[in-house]
Amino acid sequence: MKILLIEDDDALIALLTRSLSSQHHIVDVVKDGEMGWTYASTFDYDTIVLDIMLPKLDGISLCKKLRGAGYTTPILLLTSQYNTTIKVQGLDAGADDYVVKPFDIAELTARVRALLRRGSTNPLPLLSWGDLMLNPISCEVNYNGQALTLTTKEYDLLELFLRDSYRVFSNDEIIDRLWSSDDFPAEATVRSHLRRLRHKLQSAGAPHDFIGTIHGRGYYLTSSQNSPQSLISSNDNSQPIHSHQQQTEYLAFLQETWVQTKPQCLEILSKIAAIVDQLLLETCTYPEQQQAHQKAHKLVGTLGVFSLTSAMNIARQMERLLNRSILLSPTESLTLQTYLSELFRDIEVNSPSQKIDSPHPGLSLLLLIDIDQNSIQSLTDIADNHGYRTISLSTIEAADRYLFSNSNPNLPALILVNLRESSSILGFLHNVHLRLYDQAILVLSDRDELIDRLAVVRHGGKFLCTANLTTEQIFTTAVSLIPLITTTPKVMVVDDDLDWLRTVPKLLQPWGLKITTLADPQQFWNVLQSVQPDALVLDIQMPEINGLELCQVLRSDPNWQRLPILFLSVSKDSISQQEAFNVGADDYLCKPMMGGELAQRIRHRLARLQFS
Amino acid sequence: MKNKRLLTIDDEESIQIVIKFGIHMVAGWEVLSASDGRMGIDTAKRELPDAILLDVMMPEMDGIATFKELQANHITAGIPVIFLTAKAQTAEKKQFNDLGVSGVITKPFNSLDLPERISKILNW
Repeated sequence: MKILLIEDDDALIALLTRSLSSQHHIVDVVKDGEMGWTYASTFDYDTIVLDIMLPKLDGISLCKKLRGAGYTTPILLLTSQYNTTIKVQGLDAGADDYVVKPFDIAELTARVRALLRRGSTNPLPLLSWGDLMLNPISCEVNYNGQALTLTTKEYDLLELFLRDSYRVFSNDEIIDRLWSSDDFPAEATVRSHLRRLRHKLQSAGAPHDFIGTIHGRGYYLTSSQNSPQSLISSNDNSQPIHSHQQQTEYLAFLQETWVQTKPQCLEILSKIAAIVDQLLLETCTYPEQQQAHQKAHKLVGTLGVFSLTSAMNIARQMERLLNRSILLSPTESLTLQTYLSELFRDIEVNSPSQKIDSPHPGLSLLLLIDIDQNSIQSLTDIADNHGYRTISLSTIEAADRYLFSNSNPNLPALILVNLRESSSILGFLHNVHLRLYDQAILVLSDRDELIDRLAVVRHGGKFLCTANLTTEQIFTTAVSLIPLITTTPKVMVVDDDLDWLRTVPKLLQPWGLKITTLADPQQFWNVLQSVQPDALVLDIQMPEINGLELCQVLRSDPNWQRLPILFLSVSKDSISQQEAFNVGADDYLCKPMMGGELAQRIRHRLARLQFS
Repeated sequence: MKNKRLLTIDDEESIQIVIKFGIHMVAGWEVLSASDGRMGIDTAKRELPDAILLDVMMPEMDGIATFKELQANHITAGIPVIFLTAKAQTAEKKQFNDLGVSGVITKPFNSLDLPERISKILNW
């Protein structure tokens, strides 16, 4: 549990911090009443331990101020005057309890525990859930009588869940509650503590889903008697299911609206950037920093509503950093600057595109193959911080199966593979290059040999020697290969077959293409000008204007001469094909056609264009 | 779901538009919009919506001040209010709860989910 200690006596601070920490509490310490107000009104605490005699603002006035502003955190007053008036004043000011100095430390910690119980849904001194028992006094945990040895953070997590046992805790909330306000742990850190806690619980005989996950929402205690349906918080209801058509229409609407919203977001970002520049020059005032915080906060909401998750995550990191009670140092401001440039890039290249109900919305995927365990963990943590997610596969064969035997794989933005056995790797590279064309693939090796570099490049990969590189550096190099391919190419499909037009977006979107369909060739020029596609798929036979004519129109316009044009037709005869190539087609395909193959042919043309 | 009329008060037009679209598509409810607290209070008095979705952080008159004024006026005091916020810390949620708001919905949300979430919060 998280406690704010407001006390100016260093000896007492040392003693209280030590004993409260030994009880698994996270303690923030401030030494005067004004700082006390700033911390208590900014961060989230489970209890405040407050001395009465304090510089700047005394404890009783602070207590009144907090209660007056609506803060309900339990307050324990420390007083050296054993006099009834002071006690009455303190309790009237809204304190929940008091202890008189000199006090017995055991009594103080017991009173803190009692206050914590008041704010909890679990009013008993022993916390339990099913067969799990946690004793906050001795800090012992057991499952069905079997003792569990937990690290501090694992214990803290469990206590947090048990104290509010019907709640779903999001990653952010867990960070707010269990880490000191000076720490900014990555969400992956929370996940790895949870993973280990779950593992220990399971080893002691608890069901594997003792701590459940609601994707995108958070974690909660599950139990057969306490099904998730009984959860009470308004945010915890499982998501209703919407029809595919509703989702698609909603997504299309988000995309449209985003076009107008994007410039506004970029403008807000520029305003934050101006304040960050001042922070770097140390000419910024605290109210300006607060303004930047509010803007970042707004941005988190907007990006989130437009389901731009990776951008939202970066904005959230920025918001968290800006939400300080003191001015940021130039070093911290440098971090902000990095977030800003990532955010500019992210907003520039991404648009609302993922399926709304996807469990990991919007995150670009890195596929890690045969990377050693330690590096996987640190790469995953770094990737997570930067808004990427990872899938780790231990062998080339597994990667082969994932990419090629799976009918609809989630294609990675980048593949990272370790060069161990060169023969199987080269075969894999060749295969990837042949079948996925422009798939970025980075081969890592701790040896630096020209012959390795050559072999990798010849097979379509990129080579990075990892000797003397930190994981962060490896990650930075790796993602620098991504920008060209994470932009979602826009493909316009013109066809008078309405059934085909309805299915084609569904077929091609999983392959990272953004589709605009058009049934009426009369509207062709207007739609083309507004969509500005990166590639065009044309039917040949259409009423009034046929595809060949449209192709000729495009090829005679200097702006569209290089646009990749693919014909897709039911006619398989060689005369039609010949005609198509004569008028400037880049490719000719016959219906019926699978989504994957069509997507690959389109991407192939785009890749050619990039390298030409 | 029965037909309802909502009022959203948010200074960001794009969010209003998205909310309106999502709610209308799924539930067919009518959604009125206001871009600041003052305008929101006037619209609420005039239109008496079934519920109000209120953004917490707005320039000039923020969500809390707007809520307090809505509560203080006998015409609007009975309209349930749900706060919209980008990130509610536990202390904030407690504070909202103490104020007497009907619920809190945290951004990001999928607007398609809103009718169901609102209905659950308000027992509609």
